[in-house]
Amino acid sequence: MSLAAYIARRALWTIPLVLGVMLVTFLLMRGAGGDPFRPPEGYIGVPESYARILRDHYHLEDPWFVEFAYWVKNVFTLRFGPSLVQRNLEVADVVRHGLPVTLQLVLLAAAWAVPAGVAMGLWAGTNRGRPADLAATSIASVLLVVPVFFVVFALREYLVVDWRLLPSGWDTWRARALPVLALGLAPAGYVARIVRTAVVETMQEDYVRTAFAKGLRRPRVVWVHVLRNSLAPLLSAAIPMIALLITGAFFVENAFSVPGVSNFFIEAVRTRDYPVIMNLTAALAVVVLIANLAADVLLAVADPRIREGMKR
Amino acid sequence: MTWKTASAGFAVLVVVAFVAVFPVVSSWDPNDVEFDLALQLPSVAHPLGTDQFGRDLATRVAVGGRTTLLIAGAALASILALGFLWGTTAALAGGVADSLLMRIVDGLLALPRLLIAIIVLVALKLNASTVPAIVFALAVAGWMLTARLVRGHMLSLTTREFVKASRAVGAGWSQIVRRHLLPNSTGILLVALLLELPTVVLGEAFLSVLGLGPPPPIATWGNIAYDGWTSHRMWELTVATLAITVFAVSANVLADGVADQLDPRRRRS
Repeated sequence: MSLAAYIARRALWTIPLVLGVMLVTFLLMRGAGGDPFRPPEGYIGVPESYARILRDHYHLEDPWFVEFAYWVKNVFTLRFGPSLVQRNLEVADVVRHGLPVTLQLVLLAAAWAVPAGVAMGLWAGTNRGRPADLAATSIASVLLVVPVFFVVFALREYLVVDWRLLPSGWDTWRARALPVLALGLAPAGYVARIVRTAVVETMQEDYVRTAFAKGLRRPRVVWVHVLRNSLAPLLSAAIPMIALLITGAFFVENAFSVPGVSNFFIEAVRTRDYPVIMNLTAALAVVVLIANLAADVLLAVADPRIREGMKR
Repeated sequence: MTWKTASAGFAVLVVVAFVAVFPVVSSWDPNDVEFDLALQLPSVAHPLGTDQFGRDLATRVAVGGRTTLLIAGAALASILALGFLWGTTAALAGGVADSLLMRIVDGLLALPRLLIAIIVLVALKLNASTVPAIVFALAVAGWMLTARLVRGHMLSLTTREFVKASRAVGAGWSQIVRRHLLPNSTGILLVALLLELPTVVLGEAFLSVLGLGPPPPIATWGNIAYDGWTSHRMWELTVATLAITVFAVSANVLADGVADQLDPRRRRS
């Protein structure tokens, strides 16, 4: 299968996936029963005039499939609609201002975490059994298993609150350093462990022995033969890694007051702001699925075996 | 069994024993608010100190462990049941139904579990999360890998002679599942159980730290971490994190060991 065909096929598969996720979210929110304007006890309802605006925008009077169709259309034309709870809040504004921040945070974290993880895994794998391996493997394991909320909290309490070394927020590059660092730690450890395992296996391959035997220098063997053949397992690592990043972003944004979408999402969950929840879920799902797509395409470019096998 | 597996198993046992025994021998009530005793450091009376409401932290960690492990146990039981049913159905049905069922699994696996769990919690429309709601959310977010594992296992089982023989003598599928497939799946289900154990414990913690856990004063490991987070107490957060991490990591190592034990081909690495 050619590269273009692989990419096209993989991209087409993303469309039903996005729609499926949206449909399930929609049915869950709607199927939970009740009237969105009569919230559970303890939550404040919505005045009739505002309810009418909401009904019109979300087509709540129509059959569910019409309502769903309008919602899909609104999401893809970026007309997300008003919030249920915060009267002056347009979900489109949240997405327009918050999503780029979240994306930037996640991408910057991945941008240092993946190379760092690959380097660490390669270092450990090529030095298998030596102290360097033990050190790198231990560091990677610690990075992976310490829960993100603990890391984020410790970094904030000491570096931002107590010692005032770095500001919080997202306005300056100085402020961005810590969130980006904190978010990348667990993915770096994860990538390191995946790559180490792959490198250890590749080092035992006949072609690596042949490369050494024909007199190639060690750096050339490691960079050309070992590294490139050890990146394929990252395909299966991409999805858990994106999950780590998105999950981590919830805590990082909360701790460092980063104005991304996760903070709005959690706030919407607490106040049962259904339109915000639904639209942000759709936005996040699109981001996650496109990220999966991008990871697959990148790896298909790097490793021809993947596009031949079309492994899923 | 290696020393690694053994010590991991031992650590799991220690945590479980502490959680089971300590609330019985402790002289403190986990939910008794006593502001005179608030924010104490560890002492003989309070081995782990007290929290912002003067509650004994050691007792709360133990009682919270009970709740967390209860949530984890119930969620795991649901995950195994759902995963087994889904995987077995897919494997036995084959063809279009199989690929449809597995596409659903693929699709759900692409999304972060935390996001799925939150959406499920919201869809339940409760004023505050309850323990059953958390269990349900974690189960819905976590059954897919088990389903995939079970399906793969079933595909290989159904080609075996004893299954073919049962079919040849006219046994129905439900009988084959009960008499042959289920008993032969205990190994894979044990692996799935130990594999998912850390993720449900962590899942409870993630939900609770975001403020979506069981309502106060219910103690869970996640809720204690949340208390530490909101009251800016590193000590409390550290204690809760240690409980969660030690348990999760030991369970993970134990899972690896058990998987190696069940599948000798894996032992070499």
